[in-house]
Amino acid sequence: MRPRPFFLWFFLPSLAAAVLLVAALGEIAQYAFRVFTPGSLEVGGFTLDNFARLARPIYLSVLGDTLLISLATSLFTLLLSYPVAYAMVRAKSDFLRSLIMLLAVTPLFTGEIVRTYAWILVLGSNGFVNTVLKSAGLIGAPLGLLYTRFGVIVALVQFSMPVMIIILATALAHVDRNCERAAANLGAGPAQVFRHVTLPLTLPGVVSGTVVIFAWTMSAFSTPQLIGGGKVLMISNLVYLQGLSSFNFPFAAVLSLLALAVAMGSLGSMHPFVSRLELKAAIN
Amino acid sequence: MKAQALPAVELTRVSKNFDAVQAVRELSLTIQKGELLTLLGPSGCGKTTLLNMIAGFDVPSGGSIVIDGRDVTAVPPYRRETGMVFQSYALFPHMNVFENVAFGLRMRKMAKLGIERAVGRALEMVKLEGFASRRVGQLSGGQQQRVALARAIVIGPKVLLLDEPLSALDKNLRRAMQLELRELHERTGLTTVFVTHDQEEALGLSDRIVVMSRGEIQQVAAPLELYRSPANGFVASFIGEINRLPPARCRIEGDEAVFEIAGHVVLRARRREKLTIAEGQETHLFVRPEHLTIATSKSSAQNKVSCRVTTHLYQGAYTLTRVDAGPLGNLQLRALGGEAIAAAPIGSQIEIDIDLDEAVILAG
Amino acid sequence: MSARLARGLRASLFWGAVALILVYMTIPAFVVLMTSVSPSELLEFPPSGFSFRWYERAFSYPDFQNAFVNGLIVTAFASSLSLLIGSAFAYLVDRYVFAGRAALEAVLASPLIIPHFTTGFGFLLLGADLGLGQSYAVVIATHVVLTLPFVSRTVYVSLRNLDPALERAATNLGASPFEVLKRVTLPLLRPGMVGGWLLAAILSLTEFTASLYVTAQRTQTLPVAMYTYVREYTDPTIAAISALLIIFTTALMLLANRCLGLRRILAIDVH
Repeated sequence: MRPRPFFLWFFLPSLAAAVLLVAALGEIAQYAFRVFTPGSLEVGGFTLDNFARLARPIYLSVLGDTLLISLATSLFTLLLSYPVAYAMVRAKSDFLRSLIMLLAVTPLFTGEIVRTYAWILVLGSNGFVNTVLKSAGLIGAPLGLLYTRFGVIVALVQFSMPVMIIILATALAHVDRNCERAAANLGAGPAQVFRHVTLPLTLPGVVSGTVVIFAWTMSAFSTPQLIGGGKVLMISNLVYLQGLSSFNFPFAAVLSLLALAVAMGSLGSMHPFVSRLELKAAIN
Repeated sequence: MKAQALPAVELTRVSKNFDAVQAVRELSLTIQKGELLTLLGPSGCGKTTLLNMIAGFDVPSGGSIVIDGRDVTAVPPYRRETGMVFQSYALFPHMNVFENVAFGLRMRKMAKLGIERAVGRALEMVKLEGFASRRVGQLSGGQQQRVALARAIVIGPKVLLLDEPLSALDKNLRRAMQLELRELHERTGLTTVFVTHDQEEALGLSDRIVVMSRGEIQQVAAPLELYRSPANGFVASFIGEINRLPPARCRIEGDEAVFEIAGHVVLRARRREKLTIAEGQETHLFVRPEHLTIATSKSSAQNKVSCRVTTHLYQGAYTLTRVDAGPLGNLQLRALGGEAIAAAPIGSQIEIDIDLDEAVILAG
Repeated sequence: MSARLARGLRASLFWGAVALILVYMTIPAFVVLMTSVSPSELLEFPPSGFSFRWYERAFSYPDFQNAFVNGLIVTAFASSLSLLIGSAFAYLVDRYVFAGRAALEAVLASPLIIPHFTTGFGFLLLGADLGLGQSYAVVIATHVVLTLPFVSRTVYVSLRNLDPALERAATNLGASPFEVLKRVTLPLLRPGMVGGWLLAAILSLTEFTASLYVTAQRTQTLPVAMYTYVREYTDPTIAAISALLIIFTTALMLLANRCLGLRRILAIDVH
């Protein structure tokens, strides 16, 4: 290949963007080691105290809650998304495929504030669910759905589904239909075809989708903030409280680093895992 | 082949390495003005790399390339004045037929009127008058092929480079395009280098064929010569179908060369002037299927071998018959029509005659 | 006969489940649309009438007016810059081999993994230490970094789908590297670049978490203004804006599906 011209044209803008991002993350890392002076935005000398503070039970329980909510969200998202992705890829009519795609993917682009606000309307004590149930005579007093982990998870699952559906649909679309036909030809019933052929072949998609949603939910902010209403705390809410309410930048920085580490750790664990699974699917 | 003062392309000890792989090794070749030369070989033999080096897309690791008297080894591809037709045609999908053909002329800053005239002539030459405003996507494979040709020809290239241009077409269309390509070549007289792995295509189209293997030239010759006297075993088995007999010992008996195979089978051939084989030397015999015939009781041929029929493959115009000839191994015969199928049923013992006068005889 | 019955039963169970799940996914949007045209201040179902009063209030509320304009400014600059940088980066990754390429790729793809509040907080600190505060420059820089992976991926996919023979053909016909870029590569990348720009624009327009950190009252974007409003008031003004955003994105999706094929944009090619 000949040496190509214009290298700097293409390189410098990308480099500038990368430098900005690295600088921003560097700022967080730097603040994490600084002494917090209450009542002041100025930070003092270097210390490790901010990290030690993480060990307090209240912060540990927030971390536990965050992990629990993320895990539940990713599992429910997977369970609800698989049938939709399957229907979207395998529906016989073109119209039906497009319709499912539109219904399933559009929520991704309306933005988190709109989506979260919509769930307040649905889950509130005068909201859609309670009003419908009450007028049907099924409940007397409104159910407390808002400000609970349950409500937060219900909303988070709906937000996460479009991404999961896209990942699963891509995996499903790449399954060679003739493999399924071959299994059926060899005497496997529909359930067996799914269990022994379709599911193993889409397993890499299943794993990567679940891990991506897990990491994604870890960093959700507006949903626990508005639907949790202070009663459900995730790391993101703690960062906001520490950073923008108490102006304790150093501790907010430590929490940000923690969230970053968990997100990167869960995604980093995915790559070898997926290739191993693919190998296993290929062997079996 | 017209010998002229200045060759169109001259390659001198050209090499190309990709990392550890030597795609082309110290290859020298002279392409005459106006000839249609084919680079033929199996995939990976270096023929496409050689074409890309002439076009300038690959830079030689060593050696020099001269086009029309100018050393272009260090000249970038866009200043080489070669016209290339790509395997995928590479028509610009965002331009119509006219714009595609005009592209090279625009790059040469030709005036608008001149462009219109030249494009019109080029489209006429490939029989696509009236297609100028069509979108590329609306054309059939054969039509796209012609646009690609017109686009390469219109700039008046010093050499036309064709990279397996017919491989994407189906069989019937391919045959028709071969004829058209040959006609076009007669009309334009453009020096043309044609790359293919299809030996039939090469035999039909070329003035000369360069057979390549593993980055080296095996033989350069006109099609007829290549088929009848291949220079080595590779060329013999790559061009057309051929039976390779087990190694033989040769001795001269007066007017005849006598070959002894596997200790006791004896075959005889008329002595040829060209044959330079010493007494007792090991030789290799290659016989084309059409030079093996089923012997009738009346025939007085000298090289009769008995064998057993194993299969027939009926091909319409002819039939391929496979026989087990004992110490000579499995052999293939080609006979016109389909009579052989009834005359020599599968499993039957027959005698075949081997016409060694037409055989390829190579010293071991 | 019974096998056919079982098959029919299984199919209707499956499609019933899919329908229910889709209802769950879309019901919030319908509730928003319904609430936005309700005349009542309290949330009520079914609505007792029909009114556009919340739309009027949304349009006349100065915070929303300012935030809308801010958002447009930020989105216009951020998505265009993102398109330029992202396309350049995609081309760089596809065509050049250079030291540190893997590191650059990892850094520029990382906003996909880094929580938005981390990125936002980082840019807040950076802006403060550079003396830029929560100015447009900081907001735009944040949005550029956040949308960059989406643009560069879209353009990169288009580049990969580009037949390399096309550029060679142009070169062979006498086009210099610059001419090849201008007349062949860029025109053929246009659909991918338009798609990437649209994606960046939508993401920037609706970005909330990072924006909450890097914007001040003067520079706040629409989602931030909506968040502030929701925390203070309970009337359905937000429903009106939300309804408009839902209608806008749905229309955009329909258009994208019609023009480019949503499946192709999302790289789900159904056999």
